[in-house]
Amino acid sequence: MKKEDTVKLISAEGFEFVIDKNAAMVSQTIRNMLTSPGDFAETERQEVRFPEISTTILEKICQYFYWSLQYASGKETEFHIEPELTLELMMAANYLHT
Amino acid sequence: MPIKFRKTIDLEEGWEFLETGINKLKRILEGHPEPQFEPEEYMMMYTTVFNMANQKCPHDYSRELYEKYKETIQDYISSMVLPSLREKHGEFMLRELVNRWMNHKVMVKWLYKFFQYLERYFISRRDLPSLDEVALTCFRDMVYEELKGKAKDAVIALIDQEREGEVIDRALIKNVVDIYVEIGMGDMNYYVNDFENDMLSATAVYYSQKASNWIMEDSSSDYMLKAEDCLRNEKERVSHYLHSSSEAKLLEVCHSNICSKFK
Repeated sequence: MKKEDTVKLISAEGFEFVIDKNAAMVSQTIRNMLTSPGDFAETERQEVRFPEISTTILEKICQYFYWSLQYASGKETEFHIEPELTLELMMAANYLHT
Repeated sequence: MPIKFRKTIDLEEGWEFLETGINKLKRILEGHPEPQFEPEEYMMMYTTVFNMANQKCPHDYSRELYEKYKETIQDYISSMVLPSLREKHGEFMLRELVNRWMNHKVMVKWLYKFFQYLERYFISRRDLPSLDEVALTCFRDMVYEELKGKAKDAVIALIDQEREGEVIDRALIKNVVDIYVEIGMGDMNYYVNDFENDMLSATAVYYSQKASNWIMEDSSSDYMLKAEDCLRNEKERVSHYLHSSSEAKLLEVCHSNICSKFK
Protein backbone atom coordinates (compact mmCIF):
# COMPACT_ATOMS: atom_id res chain seq x y z
CA MET A 1 0.00 0.00 0.00
CA LYS A 2 1.32 3.39 -0.91
CA LYS A 3 1.93 5.63 2.04
CA GLU A 4 -0.32 8.35 0.70
CA ASP A 5 -3.35 6.08 0.71
CA THR A 6 -3.12 5.09 4.35
CA VAL A 7 -3.82 6.58 7.72
CA LYS A 8 -2.59 5.58 11.11
CA LEU A 9 -5.04 5.15 13.96
CA ILE A 10 -3.51 5.00 17.39
CA SER A 11 -5.25 3.39 20.34
CA ALA A 12 -5.20 4.34 24.01
CA GLU A 13 -2.38 1.92 24.67
CA GLY A 14 -0.35 3.26 21.80
CA PHE A 15 -0.99 0.50 19.28
CA GLU A 16 -0.79 1.78 15.75
CA PHE A 17 -3.17 0.51 13.08
CA VAL A 18 -2.22 1.48 9.57
CA ILE A 19 -5.24 1.18 7.34
CA ASP A 20 -6.54 2.23 3.97
CA LYS A 21 -7.74 5.80 3.83
CA ASN A 22 -10.96 4.69 2.17
CA ALA A 23 -11.61 2.32 5.03
CA ALA A 24 -11.04 5.01 7.64
CA MET A 25 -13.42 7.36 5.89
CA VAL A 26 -16.30 5.06 6.78
CA SER A 27 -16.14 7.09 9.96
CA GLN A 28 -17.67 10.51 9.33
CA THR A 29 -15.56 11.93 12.08
CA ILE A 30 -12.33 10.72 10.55
CA ARG A 31 -13.52 11.70 7.10
CA ASN A 32 -14.15 15.26 8.26
CA MET A 33 -10.75 15.43 9.72
CA LEU A 34 -8.92 14.10 6.70
CA THR A 35 -10.77 15.96 4.01
CA SER A 36 -10.28 19.66 3.44
CA PRO A 37 -7.43 20.33 5.72
CA GLY A 38 -6.62 21.95 2.38
CA ASP A 39 -8.09 25.15 3.72
CA PHE A 40 -5.18 25.34 6.04
CA ALA A 41 -2.63 23.45 3.93
CA GLU A 42 -2.09 19.70 3.98
CA THR A 43 -1.12 18.06 7.21
CA GLU A 44 1.89 15.89 6.70
CA ARG A 45 1.28 13.15 9.21
CA GLN A 46 -1.92 11.36 8.50
CA GLU A 47 -2.33 9.90 11.94
CA VAL A 48 -4.97 10.19 14.62
CA ARG A 49 -4.76 9.41 18.27
CA PHE A 50 -7.72 8.00 20.17
CA PRO A 51 -6.72 8.09 23.81
CA GLU A 52 -10.17 6.88 24.82
CA ILE A 53 -10.45 3.84 22.59
CA SER A 54 -8.76 0.63 23.66
CA THR A 55 -6.71 -1.47 21.30
CA THR A 56 -9.22 -4.31 21.17
CA ILE A 57 -12.03 -1.99 20.23
CA LEU A 58 -9.99 -0.05 17.71
CA GLU A 59 -8.96 -3.29 16.08
CA LYS A 60 -12.59 -4.35 15.81
CA ILE A 61 -13.46 -1.00 14.36
CA CYS A 62 -10.80 -1.29 11.69
CA GLN A 63 -12.21 -4.70 10.82
CA TYR A 64 -15.64 -3.11 10.62
CA PHE A 65 -14.38 -0.48 8.21
CA TYR A 66 -13.15 -3.11 5.81
CA TRP A 67 -16.27 -5.19 6.23
CA SER A 68 -18.33 -2.10 5.55
CA LEU A 69 -16.53 -1.42 2.31
CA GLN A 70 -17.05 -4.98 1.19
CA TYR A 71 -20.71 -4.98 2.11
CA ALA A 72 -21.18 -1.71 0.24
CA SER A 73 -20.11 -3.42 -2.94
CA GLY A 74 -22.81 -6.03 -2.53
CA LYS A 75 -21.27 -8.99 -0.72
CA GLU A 76 -23.57 -10.10 2.04
CA THR A 77 -21.78 -11.36 5.07
CA GLU A 78 -22.25 -11.07 8.78
CA PHE A 79 -20.05 -8.95 10.93
CA HIS A 80 -19.37 -10.95 14.05
CA ILE A 81 -19.13 -9.05 17.33
CA GLU A 82 -18.13 -10.69 20.57
CA PRO A 83 -20.89 -9.89 23.10
CA GLU A 84 -18.57 -8.44 25.71
CA LEU A 85 -17.35 -5.87 23.22
CA THR A 86 -20.77 -4.64 22.20
CA LEU A 87 -21.23 -1.73 24.55
CA GLU A 88 -17.77 -0.30 24.06
CA LEU A 89 -18.01 -0.84 20.37
CA MET A 90 -21.27 1.03 20.13
CA MET A 91 -19.92 3.93 22.12
CA ALA A 92 -16.87 4.11 19.91
CA ALA A 93 -19.06 3.91 16.82
CA ASN A 94 -21.12 6.79 18.12
CA TYR A 95 -17.98 8.82 18.72
CA LEU A 96 -16.63 8.08 15.29
CA HIS A 97 -20.00 8.52 13.59
CA THR A 98 -19.81 5.19 11.88
CA MET B 1 -14.69 -2.07 30.83
CA PRO B 2 -16.62 0.82 29.37
CA ILE B 3 -14.86 3.75 27.79
CA LYS B 4 -13.95 5.97 30.68
CA PHE B 5 -14.78 9.58 30.17
CA ARG B 6 -12.71 11.61 32.49
CA LYS B 7 -14.28 13.31 35.45
CA THR B 8 -17.30 15.38 34.46
CA ILE B 9 -16.27 18.38 32.46
CA ASP B 10 -17.51 21.55 34.00
CA LEU B 11 -19.18 23.99 31.58
CA GLU B 12 -16.75 26.84 32.27
CA GLU B 13 -13.73 24.62 32.00
CA GLY B 14 -14.90 22.89 28.89
CA TRP B 15 -15.85 26.10 27.15
CA GLU B 16 -12.52 27.68 28.07
CA PHE B 17 -10.79 24.85 26.30
CA LEU B 18 -13.02 25.11 23.25
CA GLU B 19 -12.34 28.83 23.15
CA THR B 20 -8.63 28.29 22.73
CA GLY B 21 -9.41 26.38 19.56
CA ILE B 22 -11.92 28.96 18.42
CA ASN B 23 -9.48 31.79 19.03
CA LYS B 24 -6.86 30.01 17.02
CA LEU B 25 -9.37 29.70 14.21
CA LYS B 26 -10.09 33.43 14.42
CA ARG B 27 -6.39 34.25 14.23
CA ILE B 28 -6.03 32.09 11.15
CA LEU B 29 -9.03 33.79 9.54
CA GLU B 30 -7.64 37.23 10.25
CA GLY B 31 -4.46 36.23 8.45
CA HIS B 32 -2.16 36.13 11.43
CA PRO B 33 0.80 33.79 11.21
CA GLU B 34 -0.50 30.72 12.92
CA PRO B 35 0.39 27.05 12.53
CA GLN B 36 -2.31 24.97 10.90
CA PHE B 37 -4.70 22.83 12.91
CA GLU B 38 -3.20 19.45 13.64
CA PRO B 39 -5.49 16.41 13.52
CA GLU B 40 -4.82 16.15 17.29
CA GLU B 41 -6.24 19.58 17.95
CA TYR B 42 -9.31 18.90 15.89
CA MET B 43 -9.90 15.62 17.71
CA MET B 44 -9.54 17.32 21.08
CA MET B 45 -12.14 19.92 20.16
CA TYR B 46 -14.52 17.33 18.78
CA THR B 47 -13.96 15.08 21.79
CA THR B 48 -14.63 17.88 24.24
CA VAL B 49 -17.92 18.71 22.60
CA PHE B 50 -18.74 15.02 22.41
CA ASN B 51 -18.01 14.48 26.09
CA MET B 52 -19.83 17.56 27.24
CA ALA B 53 -22.89 16.56 25.27
CA ASN B 54 -22.85 13.03 26.64
CA GLN B 55 -22.60 13.71 30.31
CA LYS B 56 -25.46 12.84 32.58
CA CYS B 57 -27.90 15.51 33.69
CA PRO B 58 -27.43 18.15 34.96
CA HIS B 59 -24.10 18.20 33.18
CA ASP B 60 -25.44 17.59 29.71
CA TYR B 61 -24.31 20.81 28.12
CA SER B 62 -25.67 20.37 24.61
CA ARG B 63 -27.96 23.37 24.82
CA GLU B 64 -25.29 25.60 26.36
CA LEU B 65 -22.83 24.59 23.66
CA TYR B 66 -25.38 25.32 20.95
CA GLU B 67 -26.04 28.75 22.45
CA LYS B 68 -22.38 29.48 22.81
CA TYR B 69 -21.75 28.42 19.22
CA LYS B 70 -24.21 31.04 18.11
CA GLU B 71 -22.74 33.66 20.46
CA THR B 72 -19.27 32.97 19.16
CA ILE B 73 -20.34 33.77 15.64
CA GLN B 74 -22.29 36.85 16.64
CA ASP B 75 -19.37 38.05 18.68
CA TYR B 76 -16.90 37.57 15.85
CA ILE B 77 -19.13 39.41 13.44
CA SER B 78 -19.72 42.39 15.70
CA SER B 79 -16.14 42.75 16.86
CA MET B 80 -14.20 41.96 13.70
CA VAL B 81 -16.38 41.78 10.61
CA LEU B 82 -18.69 44.78 10.90
CA PRO B 83 -16.10 47.34 11.96
CA SER B 84 -13.87 46.52 9.03
CA LEU B 85 -16.80 46.76 6.61
CA ARG B 86 -18.14 49.99 8.00
CA GLU B 87 -14.95 51.87 7.35
CA LYS B 88 -14.88 51.06 3.64
CA HIS B 89 -16.88 52.29 0.68
CA GLY B 90 -17.62 51.58 -2.95
CA GLU B 91 -15.49 48.95 -4.63
CA PHE B 92 -13.25 48.54 -1.54
CA MET B 93 -16.26 47.78 0.55
CA LEU B 94 -17.41 45.20 -1.99
CA ARG B 95 -14.04 43.46 -1.89
CA GLU B 96 -14.07 43.41 1.87
CA LEU B 97 -17.62 42.08 1.85
CA VAL B 98 -16.68 39.23 -0.46
CA ASN B 99 -13.61 38.41 1.65
CA ARG B 100 -15.61 38.42 4.83
CA TRP B 101 -18.25 36.20 3.26
CA MET B 102 -15.64 33.68 2.11
CA ASN B 103 -14.05 33.84 5.54
CA HIS B 104 -17.39 33.29 7.15
CA LYS B 105 -17.91 30.14 5.15
CA VAL B 106 -14.50 28.83 6.16
CA MET B 107 -15.18 29.61 9.80
CA VAL B 108 -18.50 27.80 9.63
CA LYS B 109 -16.87 24.78 8.04
CA TRP B 110 -14.32 24.51 10.85
CA LEU B 111 -16.76 25.21 13.64
CA TYR B 112 -18.89 22.48 12.15
CA LYS B 113 -16.02 20.06 12.48
CA PHE B 114 -15.82 20.87 16.17
CA PHE B 115 -19.50 21.04 16.98
CA GLN B 116 -20.95 18.49 14.60
CA TYR B 117 -21.81 16.06 17.34
CA LEU B 118 -24.56 18.43 18.43
CA GLU B 119 -26.10 18.13 14.99
CA ARG B 120 -26.55 14.40 15.21
CA TYR B 121 -28.76 14.20 18.25
CA PHE B 122 -29.46 17.44 20.09
CA ILE B 123 -30.29 19.51 17.04
CA SER B 124 -32.13 16.91 15.02
CA ARG B 125 -34.20 15.67 17.96
CA ARG B 126 -35.44 19.12 18.81
CA ASP B 127 -35.83 20.19 15.23
CA LEU B 128 -33.63 23.20 15.81
CA PRO B 129 -31.93 25.17 13.05
CA SER B 130 -28.79 23.36 11.94
CA LEU B 131 -25.33 24.72 12.70
CA ASP B 132 -25.07 26.00 9.13
CA GLU B 133 -28.43 27.72 9.33
CA VAL B 134 -27.58 29.40 12.59
CA ALA B 135 -24.34 30.71 11.15
CA LEU B 136 -25.87 31.96 7.95
CA THR B 137 -28.71 33.64 9.81
CA CYS B 138 -26.19 35.48 11.97
CA PHE B 139 -24.35 36.75 8.92
CA ARG B 140 -27.57 37.66 7.22
CA ASP B 141 -29.14 39.51 10.14
CA MET B 142 -26.00 41.28 11.20
CA VAL B 143 -23.97 41.94 8.07
CA TYR B 144 -26.15 41.46 5.02
CA GLU B 145 -29.09 43.48 6.33
CA GLU B 146 -26.85 46.39 7.18
CA LEU B 147 -24.90 46.45 3.95
CA LYS B 148 -27.24 45.15 1.30
CA GLY B 149 -28.27 48.66 0.24
CA LYS B 150 -24.76 50.02 -0.01
CA ALA B 151 -23.55 46.94 -1.82
CA LYS B 152 -26.39 47.08 -4.30
CA ASP B 153 -25.69 50.73 -5.04
CA ALA B 154 -22.01 50.07 -5.49
CA VAL B 155 -22.66 47.20 -7.88
CA ILE B 156 -25.14 49.20 -9.94
CA ALA B 157 -22.63 52.03 -10.16
CA LEU B 158 -20.03 49.63 -11.50
CA ILE B 159 -22.47 48.14 -14.00
CA ASP B 160 -23.24 51.61 -15.33
CA GLN B 161 -19.53 52.26 -15.63
CA GLU B 162 -19.18 49.15 -17.73
CA ARG B 163 -22.05 50.27 -19.91
CA GLU B 164 -20.13 53.46 -20.53
CA GLY B 165 -17.24 51.40 -21.80
CA GLU B 166 -15.05 51.18 -18.74
CA VAL B 167 -13.39 47.97 -17.68
CA ILE B 168 -14.65 46.70 -14.36
CA ASP B 169 -13.85 43.73 -12.16
CA ARG B 170 -16.48 41.25 -13.26
CA ALA B 171 -15.37 38.51 -10.91
CA LEU B 172 -15.91 40.84 -7.98
CA ILE B 173 -19.45 41.63 -9.09
CA LYS B 174 -20.19 37.99 -9.61
CA ASN B 175 -19.02 37.21 -6.10
CA VAL B 176 -21.18 39.96 -4.64
CA VAL B 177 -24.23 38.85 -6.62
CA ASP B 178 -23.64 35.31 -5.40
CA ILE B 179 -23.97 36.54 -1.83
CA TYR B 180 -27.47 37.81 -2.59
CA VAL B 181 -28.30 34.41 -4.00
CA GLU B 182 -26.67 32.28 -1.30
CA ILE B 183 -27.99 34.32 1.61
CA GLY B 184 -31.47 33.08 0.80
CA MET B 185 -30.55 29.44 1.37
CA GLY B 186 -32.59 28.47 -1.66
CA ASP B 187 -34.95 31.41 -1.47
CA MET B 188 -34.41 33.87 -4.33
CA ASN B 189 -36.44 36.66 -2.74
CA TYR B 190 -33.39 38.30 -1.22
CA TYR B 191 -31.73 38.51 -4.63
CA VAL B 192 -34.91 39.78 -6.24
CA ASN B 193 -35.96 42.30 -3.61
CA ASP B 194 -32.61 43.51 -2.41
CA PHE B 195 -30.79 43.61 -5.69
CA GLU B 196 -32.57 42.71 -8.87
CA ASN B 197 -35.49 45.13 -8.62
CA ASP B 198 -33.28 48.15 -8.20
CA MET B 199 -30.83 46.89 -10.77
CA LEU B 200 -33.69 46.66 -13.27
CA SER B 201 -34.97 50.15 -12.39
CA ALA B 202 -31.50 51.58 -12.80
CA THR B 203 -31.21 49.83 -16.14
CA ALA B 204 -34.53 51.30 -17.23
CA VAL B 205 -33.39 54.79 -16.28
CA TYR B 206 -30.06 54.35 -18.02
CA TYR B 207 -31.48 53.17 -21.31
CA SER B 208 -34.39 55.55 -21.24
CA GLN B 209 -31.88 58.38 -21.08
CA LYS B 210 -29.71 56.89 -23.79
CA ALA B 211 -32.66 56.27 -26.05
CA SER B 212 -33.76 59.88 -25.72
CA ASN B 213 -30.33 61.02 -26.81
CA TRP B 214 -30.11 58.63 -29.73
CA ILE B 215 -33.51 59.56 -31.02
CA MET B 216 -32.28 63.09 -31.39
CA GLU B 217 -28.88 62.28 -32.82
CA ASP B 218 -29.10 59.13 -34.87
CA SER B 219 -30.67 57.92 -38.05
CA SER B 220 -33.15 55.12 -37.69
CA SER B 221 -30.76 52.47 -38.91
CA ASP B 222 -28.06 53.62 -36.50
CA TYR B 223 -30.59 53.56 -33.74
CA MET B 224 -31.54 50.01 -34.57
CA LEU B 225 -27.91 48.96 -34.56
CA LYS B 226 -27.35 50.54 -31.18
CA ALA B 227 -30.45 48.88 -29.86
CA GLU B 228 -29.21 45.51 -31.04
CA ASP B 229 -25.83 46.14 -29.43
CA CYS B 230 -27.43 46.95 -26.14
CA LEU B 231 -29.54 43.86 -26.07
CA ARG B 232 -26.54 41.75 -26.87
CA ASN B 233 -24.42 43.43 -24.21
CA GLU B 234 -27.04 43.00 -21.57
CA LYS B 235 -27.43 39.34 -22.41
CA GLU B 236 -23.69 38.90 -22.01
CA ARG B 237 -23.84 40.77 -18.76
CA VAL B 238 -26.16 38.16 -17.34
CA SER B 239 -23.79 35.38 -18.29
CA HIS B 240 -20.83 37.22 -16.76
CA TYR B 241 -22.15 38.08 -13.39
CA LEU B 242 -25.88 38.20 -12.93
CA HIS B 243 -28.14 35.35 -11.96
CA SER B 244 -29.62 33.56 -14.95
CA SER B 245 -33.13 34.25 -13.73
CA SER B 246 -32.55 37.93 -14.46
CA GLU B 247 -32.05 37.49 -18.17
CA ALA B 248 -35.64 37.60 -19.31
CA LYS B 249 -36.53 40.54 -17.07
CA LEU B 250 -33.44 42.49 -18.02
CA LEU B 251 -33.97 42.08 -21.74
CA GLU B 252 -37.59 43.03 -21.30
CA VAL B 253 -36.59 46.27 -19.55
CA CYS B 254 -34.12 47.12 -22.29
CA HIS B 255 -36.59 46.31 -24.96
CA SER B 256 -39.31 48.47 -23.56
CA ASN B 257 -37.03 51.39 -22.87
CA ILE B 258 -35.11 51.38 -26.10
CA CYS B 259 -37.51 50.06 -28.65
CA SER B 260 -40.61 51.75 -27.35
CA LYS B 261 -39.02 55.15 -27.83
CA PHE B 262 -38.69 54.37 -31.42
CA LYS B 263 -42.20 54.98 -32.47
